[in-house]
Amino acid sequence: MSAVPPATVAARIEAVQRADSALGLLRATQELAACTAPAAAPTLVEVLGFNNPGAAVAAVDGLISLGAAAVEALLQLDPDNYGARAWAVRALAGIGDVRGLELLLDALGSDVAASVRRAAAKGLGQLELGGLPGAEQQGVRQRCLEALLAATGDGEWVVRYAVAVGLESLVAGLPAEALERQQARDALGGLSQGGDDTPPVVQRRAALALSRLECP
Amino acid sequence: MPAAAAGLEAGEPISEQEALRRLRQSDDPSQQYYGAWWLGRMRSQHPEAVPLLQSALRQRRPRDPGAGVEENAVARNAARALGKLAPAAHAAVPDLLDTLEDPDDGLREAAARALGELRAEAAIAPLCHRLAGGPAVAGAQRPDSPRLAEPCEALLEALGDIGRADPQVLAVVEPFISHERPLIRSAAARTLLQLSGDSRWGALLVELLDHPQLQVRRAALMDLGAAGWRPGFEAIAGTLAENSLKLMALRGLVERGRGEPGDGALLACMDALL
Repeated sequence: MSAVPPATVAARIEAVQRADSALGLLRATQELAACTAPAAAPTLVEVLGFNNPGAAVAAVDGLISLGAAAVEALLQLDPDNYGARAWAVRALAGIGDVRGLELLLDALGSDVAASVRRAAAKGLGQLELGGLPGAEQQGVRQRCLEALLAATGDGEWVVRYAVAVGLESLVAGLPAEALERQQARDALGGLSQGGDDTPPVVQRRAALALSRLECP
Repeated sequence: MPAAAAGLEAGEPISEQEALRRLRQSDDPSQQYYGAWWLGRMRSQHPEAVPLLQSALRQRRPRDPGAGVEENAVARNAARALGKLAPAAHAAVPDLLDTLEDPDDGLREAAARALGELRAEAAIAPLCHRLAGGPAVAGAQRPDSPRLAEPCEALLEALGDIGRADPQVLAVVEPFISHERPLIRSAAARTLLQLSGDSRWGALLVELLDHPQLQVRRAALMDLGAAGWRPGFEAIAGTLAENSLKLMALRGLVERGRGEPGDGALLACMDALL
């Protein structure tokens, strides 16, 4: 990837700020996202609050491709801007930086929108823990696990589906005898057997996760 | 005011007994409206639910736009609730067939959907009869409103849900593939795909996923999901629409579809949209 010159990034930031139509904003955001420049992060985060879903999708993609460099800007988001927060959860879930932990836990446990809870559940399963000391890894993983286990009772099928995905990825790298792995398998077993309210698609996804965890 | 109602604010959770009580009284149609909705939403198995909904369905009158929550709104909700209460609601099929002849097209629409959900084969002939004039008659826009002469989407989809692939049914549905409104074309393609499994109808729905209007793309997503057409999975994933809707459509492919691609590819596709 060749670096985009700072002047170009600055010009594209200005284009986003000057955009005066929904389509113009979408195009300008796509161009800015394509720079993959850390300097673009605050502006991409700003776009999340503009109530333009097309542009927000482009901004989320751009922020995810920036990875860790986008996290600070995402965490500084105005917590009262609900729409922006929902997009930020998706970006943080995609980035997998452990600094997003609190926001993801909060989103899975209490966000009103199923689409946000679903993104958070997936994200909690794929936080990058490799850079942390062992004891801290264990603590973070435990908190993710507890939140995912609690969300197996979520009222929306799509969130329970995402919980199955999150549980699988959270424990996939652990040794077979790890307690967390056993707890995740028990929860997946429950989802795979379903109940009155668990649709076949959730049961099949949980069964798939379980079979992958049983034969590593 | 009865004590049971006095303590409850609008929107508060209510019990099954309370829902039945609200539907049974007849002084306040807005309470009946909510009671009927509740019984369907909660899939009430109470033996009184279906008989009460049947009488609510009979309580209708010519449309009066000034009447607040009018009786027909209660009847509409009663029809919708009956659609969710199989098998007990099979007893109400004659009432729903009768409602299919009501002058209020909103009621006909609700009755058609309920008959589809109940897979009432007795409805096939009357549904076909309503559609028999084709796009130029049943599908003609009314002079006084943007609505069509018949609630074509609901009538077409009910035939698909009931699921009997008689040549006469296919012959009634097929002309709607060239209706001027893309939502009607989508409904017709869905029904033909459900009934015949013929991939050209799936291809037509996939084409509609590219339509410039979001509303049409959303409808085509739901219709592919309803038909469970698995070859459409990549086109579904790539549609410019909310991931929530794509996930619902893909769920339909997993649960209702057969053949290739298998579950593994479909589930991986869903995982990527979370």
